[in-house]
Parts: sequence; structure tokens; C-alpha cells
Amino acid sequence: MSEKNGKGKNGISRRDILKGIATLPVLAYFGFRFHSQYESDILPFIEKGQTELPNFGYIKIPSVGYRASGDKIRLGIVGNGMRGAEVFRALGYATEGWLESNLQNGDINQNVKNFFGQENLNVEITGVCDTFSVRMEEAANIASSEVRSGGAKPQKRPILYSNYREMLSDNNLDAIVILTPDHWHAKMAIDAAKEGKHIYLEKPMCQTADEAKLLKGVIGQSGVVLQVGHQNRQQASYIMAKNVVESGLLGDISMIETYTFRNSSHGAWNRIIPEPASRDNINWREFLGDKRWHEFDLDRYFNWQKWFEYGTGPAGNQFTHEYDCVNQILNLGIPKRVSAVGGNFFYKDSRDIPDVLNCTFVYPDRGLTLTYNCTLKSSVQRDITFLGSEGAMQVNVALSVFADRESDKYKGKVPDFERPMYVYNPKKGQVDASTSATMKYYQERGFGYTYHNGHRIDATYLHMKEWLHCIRNKQQPSCNVDRGFEETITFYMANLAYLENRIVEWDEENQEII
Amino acid sequence: MKQENCQIFSMVMLRVLIGWHLLYEGLVKIIDPTWSASYYLTNVEGPLKSIFSGIPSIPFAIEAVNIINQWSLVFIGLSLILGLFSKVSSVSGALLLFMYYISNPPFVGVKELPYTEGNYLIVNKNLIEMAALLVLYFFPTGRIIGFDRFIKKNRK
Repeated sequence: MSEKNGKGKNGISRRDILKGIATLPVLAYFGFRFHSQYESDILPFIEKGQTELPNFGYIKIPSVGYRASGDKIRLGIVGNGMRGAEVFRALGYATEGWLESNLQNGDINQNVKNFFGQENLNVEITGVCDTFSVRMEEAANIASSEVRSGGAKPQKRPILYSNYREMLSDNNLDAIVILTPDHWHAKMAIDAAKEGKHIYLEKPMCQTADEAKLLKGVIGQSGVVLQVGHQNRQQASYIMAKNVVESGLLGDISMIETYTFRNSSHGAWNRIIPEPASRDNINWREFLGDKRWHEFDLDRYFNWQKWFEYGTGPAGNQFTHEYDCVNQILNLGIPKRVSAVGGNFFYKDSRDIPDVLNCTFVYPDRGLTLTYNCTLKSSVQRDITFLGSEGAMQVNVALSVFADRESDKYKGKVPDFERPMYVYNPKKGQVDASTSATMKYYQERGFGYTYHNGHRIDATYLHMKEWLHCIRNKQQPSCNVDRGFEETITFYMANLAYLENRIVEWDEENQEII
Repeated sequence: MKQENCQIFSMVMLRVLIGWHLLYEGLVKIIDPTWSASYYLTNVEGPLKSIFSGIPSIPFAIEAVNIINQWSLVFIGLSLILGLFSKVSSVSGALLLFMYYISNPPFVGVKELPYTEGNYLIVNKNLIEMAALLVLYFFPTGRIIGFDRFIKKNRK
């Protein structure tokens, strides 16, 4: 620096230097604060947290990789109610009307993209059947629609059968998809198995324990492939949840909580009755089947879930979803004891099912209880929660694990017990360790869709795909008759406990409810 | 303090504060081994949804987006704090923030990401920070308080 004018050779004065580096102390202070923050908040999550947590990597849903090669499988569809259109789409059949209803500002939405992203399952719907002739025609229209996924070609119009027995006696189908009210499930599945037809059966598998025993025996003898329609078997988060439990992250699980939370008339099974429905186009006697005679009643026909005679109450209709999720994670099987209390407090129509129900399923051998709390008068979301000695896990379409503040395993390793220490977000297709206060964890309920490698896929499509793969390869599907048997016995015990106001027990040795 | 000095002081303060914010955002994203723009991009809403939402499915593209995002934030942050190349970093920062803004704009009818803080209608903090960086671009202070002062002197 020159002495002249206080400037150096390059014209930089002392003043220039001071002004030039004036903000440097800010950077130094930033460095100091960042270091402190890193030591106290970020590092414990990243280093200590992560080394404690196993890396499960990507979750692979086996059915995604199955190929529908081989012979075409001919299907008969029985029942085209509320679930009908969804199952048709899962099989690769949609309508122009559905496409139009999924347009947003002229663009197709994600549902349509997902549909067209489905592979051709190599099936043909050769027959349809419904006791409501309007819905039967609709089913035939969908089955011969030009809107097909996976590049499949439109098919000829299927045969319309006035009842499922005629369909089964015809020799033009290999398998049957049963989407009827619950009271028909066992009867149809047994008849189909006896005819050698493979079966996709909507949940619950059966209405009663006796039916479940009968069906289990028939399926065992027939060798046909039966898949119960719990499509959550394809949910990535449940596969992940099984890994979490088996890795011991939660410690000893003492309780699992499951819920139904609905607060709408539709959710309480008061559904809109279609305009053209009348005794002229509904085969009422066929609907009733072996149930006692009742005068023609559109409410009973369309909202059959409200009566134990045709449906199975909240335990059979809703809890079975939750139960099968827990059962696939823990292989719980049938509980030893079940209690259930509740009542019909809000929907004062002629229904006989409860709208508030609290059930407890006791598994002494496993040292845990499973609870089910249902209300049809609150829609506050509560996820399936596994309560363990070291941590708790909440599962829906995503998964969060929280450390227990009294846990020895996580003592001094988890800075904030209120935040999940582990989040699995299948949308992202990877595992996160929760790292900072700005980290937002993803919690969203998503029945219907599962995620594989970041892609959204219809879970029912995958469940169907698995079933068809098992038919072609003579394998057992994930929700076979044994899982269905456990599901039916478990919810039926709850229904008995509620209706008979007693604690119901399972005699494992004699395979009987006592 | 003269008004001119107050103006310089407040502009430099604005520059340093934004720099601090972006530098920290960038560093946290670099340190967190699990961080990825994938979730953000998968959930993009608004006019550029079709462009952004496809990125996570291309491994190379998402990796590039992650690295560019992380290091851009760090360099822009450092540059703003030090007042070094501050005009370039102001305009690059504004561009980066505009990308954040347009990928999830608080427009009527655009679904917000769950668990985002605050309530916004068209204008959100990304947009305001972007505007502040444009102001810093047109009223550069690096040549007055900052390392740009030395560059200016050297060029003379």
C-alpha cells in the first residue's frame, strides 16, 4: 500500500478494504451459529438417528412385476353395485362417461393417467349378472367399452345371466368375480369352487363363522384360487410396516388401535337410490336368497349394509379392512377373546346395526390387544397405531415411527419425541430420517391407490393382477382362504359379542366359537 | 446518519439477510443425506405441473436438480452476504425463487402442499423474496459495501 493518499498501487484505500469486508463478520457469525445448530439439532438426527435406524431401501410390491402372459382368463362378474365400476377399471375396462367426469379444464387427471398406465391383464369378461337389470346392462356396456387400459382391444358384449347359477353352469368362464351383498358371498363362492371356477371375492369373505368353515373346506378340496378383496395387501406402507415391526424398532407391542371415522349420511349407508329402480327391474327374490321373506323394499336392496341379515355391520364392513392390514403386518390370526359394545344412537331408521361400536380383541399368546373404535358421527382422522415399548407407529398410506420418551433404546438419541424419528413416504419412494424443524412429514390417507417407486397405482388392479398370476401359475395369493377365514371369524366374534352382549371366546383346538 | 447512508445500510441489510436465509437452506439440504426435491416436484401444482412433475421419474434429472438446487442456494447465499458478484447472484436468486413460486403458486384453485405454513393469496414469501432480489439487482450495493468494491477498483 502506498503512503500517498492512503491508497495502494491498485488504487485500493484502507477505507475500501473496510467497506469491502464489512459484511465478513456476518459470515463468521453465521458459521459459528451454524456449527452450534449442527451439533445440537441436525447432527443427532442425521448421525445418531440414522445409525440406529435400518435402511430398508425401496419397497417392492411383488405383484407389480407379474406378467399376464399365457392363456386369456375368462371372467364372469356377479354384482355391479357401488364397487362394480372400480373393479371393472382395475381389470382394464372404463367408460367414456368416466373419462369425461375425470376431465379438468380439458385435461385428463391423475386417475385417468393411472388407468391407462395399467398393463393389459389378458382377461375377457364373458358374462355379467346382477339382480337389478339396469346395472346388469351397465356392466355389459362397460365390459364391451372401447376404453381399455394397456392397449387391450374392445371385446364383444358379454352374456347377461339372470342369476349366477346359470353363469356358473355355462362353460364359457374360468373364474368369477363376486361383488354382491355379504349374505351371498359364501354361497356363491362355494358353488363356484364346486364348478372349478377361480374366485375373487369382495370382503368380508363370509357372513358367519359356519360359512367360513364350509368355504375353507370346499376351497381346500377344489384347488381353485380364491383371493379375498382386501386390496390393501398391495399397499407399500404395510409392507414397510412389517419391516419396521420385524426389525424391532417398536419393541414389544402391547396394543394396536384401529378406527372407522365417518360423518355423513352416505358413510352411514344411506345411499342415493337410482331413479329407475323398481320391483319391475329388480329380482327381489333372488336378492333375498335364503333370507326370510320381506316385502319389496328399495332401502333394503340398495342399503343392505344397514341390516345384519344381508350385511355384517361396521365390524364386517369396515373393521375387516383394518384387521387385514394389521394381520398382514403381525400375522395375528384369530383372537382368544372379544368384547364389543356400542349402539345405534344417531341413525334412527329401520336399521339394526350400530353406528357407534367399540371392540377389543385379546391375544394373550402375543401379549397384546387389538382395539376397534367406530363412529359414524365424527370424521376426525385417526390412523392405525401400533403401540410398542420402544416406539409407536402410525400407518396409513404413509408411515411414521415415534420414539417412546421412556425408551432406553432411544434415550439421548432423539431430540424431539413429538416429531417422528422415521417417516416412510411411498410417494417419494424412499426413506427419510426426520432432520430439521422444517422437515414436513407426509401423512395422507389413500385407500384405493398404492405407490411403487414413486408411481401411483390402483391397489385393486394389483390385487386382481396377483390373483390372475396365481391362477396362471398355480400359486396361493396373499389374501387366500386362510386369511379370509381369520378375517371372518374375528369380525364375526365381535358381532356376536355385540349382539349377545357377552365376551366371546375362540376354541383354537376345536376351531369353534364358544 | 445521512439519508443516503441509511439507504445504503438498509439495502445491505436486506442483501445480507436474504443471503443468510438462502445459505442456510442450501447447507441443510446438502447435509441431509435423504433430502431430495423429488417430493416437492412430484406434488407440483399450477401451470408448469406437466414439466416439473416428470422430473422425479428420471434418475439423472432429479440428481441434477438436487445438486443445482443445493449448491445454487449456497453460492447465492455466500455471494449476497459477502457482496461478491452480487448482481449476478441477485438475478439468479430471483430466478430460483420464481421457480419455487411457479411450481406451487398460491393461486385460487391450486391445491397447496399439506403442512405448509402461512396463508397466501397469489403473493407468498417466495414472491416477496424474489422481488427483493430484483430490487438488489437494480440497486446493487456490493460495489459500495462488499467484495465487488475491489473488482470495481481493479477494473479502473
